[in-house]
Formats: sequence, C-alpha cells, structure tokens
Amino acid sequence: MVKGIEKYGIPVVHMATVVPISRTIGANRIIPGVGIPYPLGDPTQGETDSKKIRKRMVRRALKALQVPVQDQTVFEKDI
Amino acid sequence: MKLELGKIEIRDIQFADRTCIEDHVLYVDKEEVEKLVLSDDKLLECHLDIARPGDATRITPVKDVIEPRVKVSGGGEIFPGVIGKVSPTVGEGRTHALDGCCVVTVGRIVGFQEGVIDMSGPAADYCPFSKTVNLCVVIEPKEGLETHVYERAGRLAGLKVAAYLGEAGKAVEPDTLEVYETKPVFQQAAEYPDLPKVGYVHMLQSQGLLHDTYYYGVDAKQFVPTFMYPTEIMDGAIVSGNCVAPCDKVTTYHHLHNPVIDECYKRHGKEINFMGVILTNENVFLADKERHSDMVAKLAEWMELDGVLITEEGYGNPDTDLMMNCRKVERKGTKVVLITDEFPGKDGKSQSLADTCDEATALASCGQGNMTLQFPAMEKVIGMQDYIESQIGGWAGCINEDGSFEAEIQIIIASTIANGFNTLAARGY
Repeated sequence: MVKGIEKYGIPVVHMATVVPISRTIGANRIIPGVGIPYPLGDPTQGETDSKKIRKRMVRRALKALQVPVQDQTVFEKDI
Repeated sequence: MKLELGKIEIRDIQFADRTCIEDHVLYVDKEEVEKLVLSDDKLLECHLDIARPGDATRITPVKDVIEPRVKVSGGGEIFPGVIGKVSPTVGEGRTHALDGCCVVTVGRIVGFQEGVIDMSGPAADYCPFSKTVNLCVVIEPKEGLETHVYERAGRLAGLKVAAYLGEAGKAVEPDTLEVYETKPVFQQAAEYPDLPKVGYVHMLQSQGLLHDTYYYGVDAKQFVPTFMYPTEIMDGAIVSGNCVAPCDKVTTYHHLHNPVIDECYKRHGKEINFMGVILTNENVFLADKERHSDMVAKLAEWMELDGVLITEEGYGNPDTDLMMNCRKVERKGTKVVLITDEFPGKDGKSQSLADTCDEATALASCGQGNMTLQFPAMEKVIGMQDYIESQIGGWAGCINEDGSFEAEIQIIIASTIANGFNTLAARGY
C-alpha cells in the first residue's frame, strides 16, 4: 500500500513496529511503532500518557511527510 | 548430559478398567482421566474419544498434540515447571516414550488459530497425526472464562493427561533404546576436533496474546537467549502454549520430536560435532528482537560454532527475528542455514516471507501454507465444525451443509511445520 500510494506522488509515512519489514517493503519515511500489539500508544502507561505518546508520534509523522528524503529514512526522534 | 530414550511401540488405544500397557496396546481408564481433567475448576465437561489412522474421522478445533512420556531415572520430572517439579533439570538418565500414540486436546476455539486433523482422505497426507493413534480429550470450559484462562486450562489438561498416561510406561521394557549425549562445551568441542561445530538456533513463538511457549514453566517472552542441552527438550522442558497458525504450530509433540535435533544427533561424531541448542524467542518489540538476536550471535561466537541451523515458529513478524539472527550470526563468521515455511498468497505471487536479508543465502523450505484443498465430509467429527470458516485457512462460505469444505492447507495441524518435521518441500527448477 505504501508503494502503491507513493507511485501517485503522494508521500507516505509508514508507522509500524518492525522497521526491517518497513525497509524490506520499500517505505521511504519510517516511524518505529511502540510494539506490534499497540503501535501508537502504550496501555501500560495508562490512558492519559498513552494518548500523549500517540499525539507525539502523529505530530512527528505529519512533520516527516514534509521532510524531503533521498534514501529510506527512519525518524526515531521528534523533528 | 546423556539421555537414554526408550520407545514403547503403541499400536492401539482402548478404554478399560485400569490404565496400563499390554502387548503394545495402551488401555485407558476413561473415568480416571476425565476426573483428572475436571480437577481444574475452569473446565465444566470432559469426554474422551479415540481416533485411529484410516478412520473416517475429523478432529477439530485442535489445540495441542502431546506424546506421553515418563522419566524413569536421572532426576527431574516430565514437563518440568509446568506439570513436573521445576528442579532438578531434565535431560539425563532414562526416559520412556509411548511411541505411536498421542494426546490431542480439542474444544471450542480459544482464538482463531486452531486446526484440523483428518484421520483419512486427502488432508491426511498433510498431517503427521493422521498416522498416530490419538486419545482426544474434548474439553468444555465454564461459561464466561477469559480467553487466556481457557487457553491455560486446555493446555494443562493435555499435559496432565500425557504425563498420566506416560506413567503407564515406566515399568514397561521399551522396544528400542537410543542414547543421546551432549557434553559440556569445552569437552564437546574437544571430542571431535576435526568435525565442524554445528549448533541449532531454536526460535520459540512468544508473541503473546495467546501465542506463547514455555521453557521450564517460564513464559518464553520473558527470557533472554540461553543455552540448552538437546536432551532437556526431549524430556519436555519446552511445551507449546500457542494458538499460532495450525500449519506451522510447533506442538508439544514436535518439541519432543524436534527433527533438527534428531538429524543433528544422527550425524553427530560422523559429519558434524553437534554442540547443542541456542534457545531464543520471537517478541513483539523491536528492542527485544534486536537485543535477542545480538545475544544469539554472541552465544554462537562464544561456542565457536562453524555453522548453525535456525528454525522459526509462525510467520509474519517472526520472519524479522529469523533474518536478524541470520545476519548477525553470519557476521560473526558462522555459516547459517534457515529452515522455514512460506506464504506466497493463494495466487503464489506475493513475497513468501515478510522479511529478508543479504546473508540469507541458504534456506530449506517446508512448503507453503496457502494452497487450497477440498476436505470431504467425515462420518464422525470429534469436537465441532462450527468454527471452520473462522479458523485460519478457512473463509466465509467455505463450508458446505454436508460438512465438506474447502480451505488452505494452513488449517491442517503441522502441514507446513517450519522445523522440517513434515514432508512438504520446495524444489528449484
């Protein structure tokens, strides 16, 4: 899906836990997820903090969409 | 560690007044077994049934398959940390196995990943348990049990019954006796200095959410990679607790009968020096995958292995653990051969592993699970067919009114089991 959408010139950020798979499938902008059962949040931190994690990650993803990249890039930290 | 494994050939199972083995027949006291299973207050009902090779019988949904075994000497108890005492460790002395019969746990589904065993017909060719005499333990959980509680009750029921039946073989003279020995690392290396030192990296399913395996009773997602003597595994130090896709589920039977360990021992002292097992897991956090593959590579280097075989359980994200182990072990200078099954989609056009790496240059395929097969209606169903459409490999509308259905072969227990136990393979043209 990532490659299919990018083919039409629309940039995609792939947010998933297993970065090597994101690389293998050819994603250009990658944000590592928290874990496979909960990629965008962490229920062990409680609902309030889990939402904070989610918000930060989505913000990072929205910024990553605007960053020009030459190679496959993993955005591990907030931009 | 040195283990003598005595195999008692079992040709049939029959219900009787007391549990014993006579003339290769396992007689089972039905009431006693049912009482044993129902000693768990999570289970409401239990009934037993026998399925023999060639019967027009289907068993489903199957949770686990277990060979009855018993420790005769050497310390420790079978399934340590789960059924038997956790200490001392197992793997030494003598063990008896009831060869040719199995305990099969059956009941309404825990998750969606429980499989089918057909005792005859086309699907029987794909299942190792179509060729064994099976004591089916059909369980009914109490209403309203949480899924993981039901899973645990089903898992323990099967292991308890297998350990109970194994006891019947304690005083029986086995038909064959095989001896397996792996020495402490320096002694083992010195024993065959001219042969290549080969190890086995054994990846246990540990994704959680009903995908778990237990090592001496420890949930496999909670340990870091460690060394095991292969004979510990033959005594039930690893038991299955997972509901991973039926085709490549490593049942407890397959832990006891690990084909990689069997083959390595056959060649031990002749073609290779089999140094032992590096045990690792398949967790759902990237940090775990990175840390544990680093540790696997460190152990391989520390043992000065010349080559390793790696097997995985399940497919999808565990393919990443498989590739990380491969890459990191290779980079330490140890040759790697991977053993796994493949999922290229119904049309065969998809990439058949979710991940890959440049170092993965040698792979033995155990076949692909997406091929579809027609399953004829059976005269008898042990368990129920209510869930076929939602069991993995099935789909909405795949079952007919007469009980026949079409499904991918991944619905069959152990059809493409990714440690090479079965006979499916891929051939290059």
